[in-house]
Amino acid sequence: MYAKFPQGAANRTDPGTAAEVVYDAVIVGGGVSGALVALRLSNAGKRVLLLEAGPAEDLTLRGYESYLDRFYSAISKDNQAPYPVVANAPMPRGTEVRRITPGAPDASSYIVQSGPLTTDTTYTRVLGGTTMHWEGKTLRMLPEDFRMHTLYGQGTDWPLTYEDLAPYYNEAEREIGVSADVEDQAYLGITFDEDYVFPMKGLPLSYLDRTVAKDLDGMPVELDGEQRKLRVRPFPQGRNGIPNPAYDGGRGFVPQGAVSAYQVEVGERCQGNNNCVPICPVQAKYNAGKTLAVALQSGRVDLVAQAVAHKVHVDEHTRRVTEIEYRRYNRPDSPGFTTMRARGRLFVLAANAVENPRLMLASGLRGSSGLMGRNFMDHAYLLAWGLLPEVAGTFRGTNCTGGITDLRGGSFRRRQAAFTVDIHNDGWGWARGAPMTDLIGLVDSGGRYGESLRQGLVDRVSRQLQLAFMVEVPADPSNRITVSPDLTDPLGNMRPVLTYDIPEYTMRGVAYARQLSKRIFARLGAEDHTAYNPNFWGYAVHDGVGYELRGGNHLAGTHVMGTAPSTSVVNADQRCWDHDNLYLVGGGSMPTVGTSNVTLTLAALCLRSARAMLAQLDSESAPINISGEAAR
Amino acid sequence: MTVSTIDNRDDLLSYLNAAMALEHATIPPYLTAYYSIRSSTNSDAAHIIRVTAVEEMLHLTLVANVLNAIGGRADLTRPGFVPSYPAYLPDGEDDFTVDLRPFSPEAVETFCKIERPGRAPSVDERLVKTSEDRTLLASPTAEEMRFYSIGEFYEEIIEGLEKVAADDPTLFCGDPARQVGPEYFYSGGGAMIVVCDLKSAQQALRFIAGQGEGLDSGIYDADGELAHYYRFRQLQLGRYYQVGDHPGAPSGPPLSISWDDVYKVKLSVRLADYPPGSELARVARDFNADYGAFLALLTQAFDGQPGLLQEAVCDMFRLRDGFNRLVCNPLPGSDGLHAAPTFEIPAAAGAGPQASADAGGTARTVTR
Repeated sequence: MYAKFPQGAANRTDPGTAAEVVYDAVIVGGGVSGALVALRLSNAGKRVLLLEAGPAEDLTLRGYESYLDRFYSAISKDNQAPYPVVANAPMPRGTEVRRITPGAPDASSYIVQSGPLTTDTTYTRVLGGTTMHWEGKTLRMLPEDFRMHTLYGQGTDWPLTYEDLAPYYNEAEREIGVSADVEDQAYLGITFDEDYVFPMKGLPLSYLDRTVAKDLDGMPVELDGEQRKLRVRPFPQGRNGIPNPAYDGGRGFVPQGAVSAYQVEVGERCQGNNNCVPICPVQAKYNAGKTLAVALQSGRVDLVAQAVAHKVHVDEHTRRVTEIEYRRYNRPDSPGFTTMRARGRLFVLAANAVENPRLMLASGLRGSSGLMGRNFMDHAYLLAWGLLPEVAGTFRGTNCTGGITDLRGGSFRRRQAAFTVDIHNDGWGWARGAPMTDLIGLVDSGGRYGESLRQGLVDRVSRQLQLAFMVEVPADPSNRITVSPDLTDPLGNMRPVLTYDIPEYTMRGVAYARQLSKRIFARLGAEDHTAYNPNFWGYAVHDGVGYELRGGNHLAGTHVMGTAPSTSVVNADQRCWDHDNLYLVGGGSMPTVGTSNVTLTLAALCLRSARAMLAQLDSESAPINISGEAAR
Repeated sequence: MTVSTIDNRDDLLSYLNAAMALEHATIPPYLTAYYSIRSSTNSDAAHIIRVTAVEEMLHLTLVANVLNAIGGRADLTRPGFVPSYPAYLPDGEDDFTVDLRPFSPEAVETFCKIERPGRAPSVDERLVKTSEDRTLLASPTAEEMRFYSIGEFYEEIIEGLEKVAADDPTLFCGDPARQVGPEYFYSGGGAMIVVCDLKSAQQALRFIAGQGEGLDSGIYDADGELAHYYRFRQLQLGRYYQVGDHPGAPSGPPLSISWDDVYKVKLSVRLADYPPGSELARVARDFNADYGAFLALLTQAFDGQPGLLQEAVCDMFRLRDGFNRLVCNPLPGSDGLHAAPTFEIPAAAGAGPQASADAGGTARTVTR
């Protein structure tokens, strides 16, 4: 089944007319958070205005394929390669990252990096947001991730427990369309409702995963006095697999295929293409466009694109948000813009954990806790790469199908960070640019061509094993997003300034991960080719040993949720303590990131918050019926 | 009521085996047009052809389910199962041949003819006399007769099923484990139907006829899916249909076609057109062998091992690669026209696991 994008929906809302309407909710950002909130509110009969910074034409299969064409012809295949560069709504790009000289911030790309450590973390500013380029892993957080302070004296506890969020995990798994098997995913305290099954059956482990598992499964590891045995476990994935007929009490599940304004049938099953990041060729991978298309079908969601939020206006006395001032550019590449305003009863910032605090700080709203923009989190990725003794079919399957999750939790977290380990089906791609670098090597230094080149390439890449350790980064108030009026983008919006360093706690986890990778390679009989370059932009030294650290694009923490206005920015409903009718939603609300990629959890949080928003809308009667149509 | 050509289970088996050959016969022409389109061009057309081909695969499998449900055995490896192109696929008014052609206005014209809604002027005219012997819609039981349209062909089978089932309560005696379930079909419209009785058999066959031609001349089916005929009409009319449109005037977004972004492959090319001993000839022969092996795998899948359809997916990717290897090469001595698979399946390729007596009965019917 395809997701029908109503024809003309991206252009039918005139911003001038929209300015005269008081919407039930104004949402900033057309990514997964904004799409899910728009879906739930519009389903409940509420009128919603969605502002999207990027350009948006109607989502069509042909439009999506233009992203693909750009990707295919791009020289750099980085995670932003398929998406248009728009000066008026710029986005960070990994290829632009450079090493920072101490004391000299790098303002050469959109995120100003003031260090000390630089990061290549990115997000995508197009309709659909970063789910356009995400890999699609949908791990639930562990119950202990919500109670890190109580259990391990690290960070803060969430104002929610795993049990509180579990029903919304179920909902998020439906909206995203998750393929997994409960028996593989119930570990380290993760529980599921009785009789729960995922919407679709688990995707199979790749041949590479199974080759690794053959020797790795059962490997003993002792950590903090606790014995455990490692195994290769399949990851839950936000990509379409075989629908589980037992889902939803036997009603089954219909996978959501591609989005288009005209009828198409594609994307109902993953084909094992190896470029989930930066774009799935067939839309078998979830992207927020699938949710947006459904939300727009309600007829109650207006969409204004090329609309970059500029300032959140607050009533001096009530502290309620009165409007969001945005700059609407006419052309992606010319500086002209029109100042517009969006009015509503509720306002929802769903931009992401960088853009949300950036907008708040640029509006002079620092929050009574002073925590706006602080506690920036991401995952720190450590890569280790080796050559297996046998051909393992590397480059077959999706980017990642399995990994090691046994070290996600445990008492060792008092001392050092936990991690999840990905086995990458794209070989040394992330670490060393395989297979392009292998190709260049064989041609330039090997003088190979034709059949011999083809065979040489196969010999070289199909034994590659890359382990990616996704290491937890705890909240640290000094890791933060700030703004400066001196640093603006072409529309005059203040750019985000990132101050970031990796805490010692994480570095201890990184050092342990590297040692573990050596043991794993030894057990597999793999040649360890890992070598960290001191000139690498993310080079960090711990105990005299240097490591290359990369960003995970798992942005979190910058408007942290909590139980009190003095220690958090939003409450458990993601409602701003300081402004009654303002919600800051997404990863920014998360007090810890644990060892899960953040999308599933932030989706669950947004679905939970949508209920709170509806309750608030229903309890606060509309003060004055201004336009008749809007206040119902 | 006209005289039925179906009297018993054996007649039904003959008809269903012929139906499988018929459903399959449309696939090589669709695939040839699809893969002749240069990559990243003609998105609109490529998707329309692709989905139609995928749905023909659904039809093939649905017929296999009906066949299995009444205790038949499929054999896609039998001689003559793959027709020799050009092949006749007659409709009621004037016969036309189906060629393996590149994507072109002529190809779209042919596709429209294949899928054209066709109802005989009266029940008595469902069967018409054949003028040629290279026919796919031949009646397997009435010599020298063929059907007015695909819809009429299925109508005959449905009526035959009803008649035989009324006399024989054990008609649906097939092992349910031989049925292909819904988990194997995706990225096309419709769904797999497990067949266990007359009702599900009728449902499966009516679905096939409806998906091709539209139900009662409506452009959308019950699931809101556009019938194949109208999908192709969009390519002729230049716009997508939307719900509520009249057949002659689609009002959806425009679609764009670039007839030149196509490898001009030689019409219904034969192995004999390839330079003997050339690498290109080898690749063309390899394709045919792969295709034969693929049909053998499908035969096993339809003969009690439906799980093998998972493996068949990998084979389909291999066939895609084979197609792509051929179509980008000009065929020497053919005025710049390009190579393409010939679908001349070697008899030895993946010899069928079984030579069923049922299938043997139909081999003569789908003749050239």
